[in-house]
Amino acid sequence: MAKIVEGLKYTEDHEWISIEGNIATIGITDFAQSSLGDIVFVELPDAGEELEATNSFGVVESIKSVSDLYTPLSGKIIEKNSTVEDGPESLNEDAYGAWLVKIEMTDTSQVDSLLDSKAYSEYCEANS
Amino acid sequence: MSAQRTSLYDEHVKLSAKIVDFAGWEMPIQYKNLKAEVEAVRSNVGVFDVSHMGEFFIEGNEALKFTDFLVTNDIANAELGKAIYSPLCREDGTIIDDLIVYKISENYIMICVNASNIDKDFDWIESQIEGFDCTLKNRSHEFSLLAVQGPNTVKALKSIDLGCELKDIDYYSLQVEKLDMQEIIFARTGYTGEDGFEIFGPHKYIQNLWSQLVSIGAEPCGLGSRDVLRLEVGYPLYGNELNDEVTPLDSGLKWTVKMSKTDFIGKKALMDYKPNFRLVKLSLDKGIPREGYQVENEAGTILGQVTSGSMSVVLKKGIAIARIKKDLYDAENQFFIDIRGKKYKAELNKKPFVAGGHK
Repeated sequence: MAKIVEGLKYTEDHEWISIEGNIATIGITDFAQSSLGDIVFVELPDAGEELEATNSFGVVESIKSVSDLYTPLSGKIIEKNSTVEDGPESLNEDAYGAWLVKIEMTDTSQVDSLLDSKAYSEYCEANS
Repeated sequence: MSAQRTSLYDEHVKLSAKIVDFAGWEMPIQYKNLKAEVEAVRSNVGVFDVSHMGEFFIEGNEALKFTDFLVTNDIANAELGKAIYSPLCREDGTIIDDLIVYKISENYIMICVNASNIDKDFDWIESQIEGFDCTLKNRSHEFSLLAVQGPNTVKALKSIDLGCELKDIDYYSLQVEKLDMQEIIFARTGYTGEDGFEIFGPHKYIQNLWSQLVSIGAEPCGLGSRDVLRLEVGYPLYGNELNDEVTPLDSGLKWTVKMSKTDFIGKKALMDYKPNFRLVKLSLDKGIPREGYQVENEAGTILGQVTSGSMSVVLKKGIAIARIKKDLYDAENQFFIDIRGKKYKAELNKKPFVAGGHK
């Protein structure tokens, strides 16, 4: 059973989001890393890039597959986690520790459309 | 038509394999860990269910004569008991499939073809057989097929009960046995570059071998690791490097086209053929090439496309085979692969990315 952390927000694309004020930190969930298998390449946007909700902001690759990362929130990238680009396996080791990007949100009301841990857990169960 | 299942389907489910549709078959793409599967084949032994592949038999007085005419490689002069890799071409030289001919005897020949091409191949071969004193049978449903691959294959096969003694045969040779009136064909062939056997047999026999091999620690391997393994040693795959539009001479397979043969289908066209393409092996220090990505030179001219790409488990970097327009090919040029709009430097590899340990 994939690990789900209480208190975080989630998407149906298997991303987790931690909210502090108008800053959202985005990563991929344990469910995502486990279905991808060995993650061997991560590409993230540089700070300053502006994104609309549902835009692709990067990719995560396993040996055989490429998966796009989608932001559920509009805003500006203020930081990316370069240590994940340099060591993609950290996503397999600790999906909730290895965050990907921090976004300064332009519309905090978008947070309301995210899943809570209970809803995400039910979503995973229904789709596994 | 609903998807077909091999005789080992239940075993794959028991092992929690990820199952995908492949050419109309529900096949295991990977078990727990693709990397571990590749590593097992390179350093120990892995076992693949490839029962979806097709087995045709050509039988009769002119079986050898017909098969030699049918394919581009030299079957007539190969020794009995040999396996021969060959393209199957149309009159215009384009490739219908690539296959292995098993020369069991002069009047009894097996051909193993790609699962995705079974119907196309059968129709083609049947359309060419008229006038030859032999028959064609598709016996794919009688056989299950295991590929046992890796440096410890022989050790593994000798430690289990095969119902017969495994002989020390050469690479690309075969041993045919009859157990309970049923044929079992052991061929020292494979698609990984390592030593190994492909074993064709009745479903129950193969199910039993699978269980024995898994119980002694052979790693169950899926089609995902099979694809990485073949790409690491630079083997082409039908549907990627080879297809209905290209000839063997566009695809690095000149060595399989034997112009010294009196006649074969496609000979006339291939004799005067000027290739349009060549396949190149490219590796990247950063980035992973994937099928369809564009290959360019320094000036930004598009040279061709990646036909297969992956992360190499052994080299831990991106590797690709690409189809390049022949007139734009220049080995002195720097190659680049366009990955999501960014250009990554690619190194031209003259040799396979990984050597492979087969004899």
